[in-house]
Amino acid sequence: MNKFNLLNINFGRAAIYFILFLFAFIYLAPLYVMFTTSLKDIEEIRSGNLMALPIDPTLYAWKKAWASACTGSECKGLAPYFWNSVRIVFPAVIISTILGAFNGYALAKWKFKGSEFLFGALLFGCFIPFQVILLPMAKLLGALGLANTVTGLVLVHVIYGIAFTTLFFRNYYVGIPTELVKAAKLDGASFLKIFRHIFIPLSTPIFVVTIIWQFTQIWNDFLFGVVYSGSGTQPITVALNNLVNTSVGGKEYNVDMAAAIIAALPTLIVYIIAGKYFVRGLTAGAVKG
Amino acid sequence: MGSISLNGINKSFGSTEVLKDINLDIKDGEFLILIGPSGCGKSTLMNLIAGLEDLTGGEIIIDDKDVSEESPKDRDIAMVFQSYALYPTMNVARNICFGLEMSKMPKNEQEVILKKVSSLLQIDHLLDRKPGQLSGGQRQRVAMGRALARSPKVFLFDEPLSNLDAKLRVEMRTEIKKLHQRIGTTIVYVTHDQIEAMTLADRIAVLKDGELQQVGTPYEIYNDPVSHFVADFMGSPGMNFIECIVKDEKLIIESGGEKYELEIPCKDAINNSKLDVVLLGIRPEMLTEIQPSVEKNSYIHQIKFDVDVLEPMGADTVAIGQWNESEVMARLSPESGNAAGKGFDLQVDTSKAILFDPNSGLRIR
Repeated sequence: MNKFNLLNINFGRAAIYFILFLFAFIYLAPLYVMFTTSLKDIEEIRSGNLMALPIDPTLYAWKKAWASACTGSECKGLAPYFWNSVRIVFPAVIISTILGAFNGYALAKWKFKGSEFLFGALLFGCFIPFQVILLPMAKLLGALGLANTVTGLVLVHVIYGIAFTTLFFRNYYVGIPTELVKAAKLDGASFLKIFRHIFIPLSTPIFVVTIIWQFTQIWNDFLFGVVYSGSGTQPITVALNNLVNTSVGGKEYNVDMAAAIIAALPTLIVYIIAGKYFVRGLTAGAVKG
Repeated sequence: MGSISLNGINKSFGSTEVLKDINLDIKDGEFLILIGPSGCGKSTLMNLIAGLEDLTGGEIIIDDKDVSEESPKDRDIAMVFQSYALYPTMNVARNICFGLEMSKMPKNEQEVILKKVSSLLQIDHLLDRKPGQLSGGQRQRVAMGRALARSPKVFLFDEPLSNLDAKLRVEMRTEIKKLHQRIGTTIVYVTHDQIEAMTLADRIAVLKDGELQQVGTPYEIYNDPVSHFVADFMGSPGMNFIECIVKDEKLIIESGGEKYELEIPCKDAINNSKLDVVLLGIRPEMLTEIQPSVEKNSYIHQIKFDVDVLEPMGADTVAIGQWNESEVMARLSPESGNAAGKGFDLQVDTSKAILFDPNSGLRIR
């Protein structure tokens, strides 16, 4: 009986692992193809097998994608657009996260008449599709004189991100006992001091979650980037699109692949460094209650 | 100094009235307990005193100064919460000093106070720890330390012991009482545990449905309750209530085929009330086994009592049975408890019995 059970469990385990490995393999296969292709030269791609390892690995495609590939009429590679993205992402992430933290703190712990309605209205912002706000936002940026600028893109991403960051922080702060606020009030701490001394130190997980979320969203954004940027202020996603669609001579799949990896690398790195906090932060509220 | 006057306090949340016209004077240095069943408004009243909620009506005066409109920090009040509400990311020392830090007290003065408070509460060795690393009792001490550090005019305790296990609760209870004797600051203490109330209080205020029922010393509340509710709420096991017919200044009880005539001290009350039926209130400790040593007098009666359930408590045994179709609890010695059963001879001493109007629940005097 015992032995039979044991066998059963082992068989079940094996089946689970088999399925997991299978799906992981299917899921990772495109990345594998991208990576190996980026290390092959164009001859090998034409003649060889898609899944084969590169016979003679070369960094030619990476160098070209970074520094000299043509994106439309310019041929400076992805580098300038990579730095554009960095200049957009950092301020937008920082500003939207800080605003979200303040909003969430106020909406969770300093309820006022209409605060629930305000939160509901802000939540609404999470469900508005990008496309809906394209035209009005373009008018607004024009009126502000920010059309085709990095600042304009930062503004768009901050506004669009506030709904999400507020939601994250508000839901996290709701789980922190209100008695802490009461105790601190009696101790003579003000709105801002309670935030700084008590809430901020408790917020590491939710900061990590919000930063990862915002970083990924803004780095990967294509639509806002393509609509609101000028020729010199395009983010890397737009440049990648242009690079792939510009064909001078034959199609250089290896360069395309390298460029795609370069464009995706920052979000990958962020996930690898902070991913465990991401999972922990998302579930923290559920466990703590 | 730290006297508090609550004058005509009203509090409503929307259309629900939580507190109705509360008037209460708390003397400087007094240990006042607010007690009542859950939802009676006792914690709300405490939050109002602290300034954490706004009054709907009335005024709060601390030391002859109307503080009704003042913010919590200007009222010079410290509070100990049921959940302790220690700041989780700060160590014990910073938790205790946080209030001082907020009032911009110089570091060296903070150190002096920290030393004094931590040695008073015997938490010197815990100062570097975070609240998460402390046991329940230690957190309780730190929470008290935080309140003590600011040496406020008034301490508010909001059910501070209810998260502790039974043994620790008794220990901390004694310690809070000692602490009050040592520092002599006014304490307002909310609890729903009537033993805490009896043991700690100088005076007890009993609340029910947002109304003050009675304010008095533990002795008064226990022995001279104004209503059925107060009598029932205080005491463990609770007071017995038996419906009796009034006849010739005596109470008639028929039970188990026997007819008893009980003599009671409050004869005027019976006459004044003009009621035919009254509710007799009698504490379980007045129902005992036959006590040969007690001198016979007209208030000592002997009845037959059918015991259904015995609850040995160690020092005594509570016997629960039916008498005159009411459930009645008697407090027996452990020895006679062992022998109790059907038709047990019970001695009923009515010298401290009190009467209630069965309709209104009010005391008949």
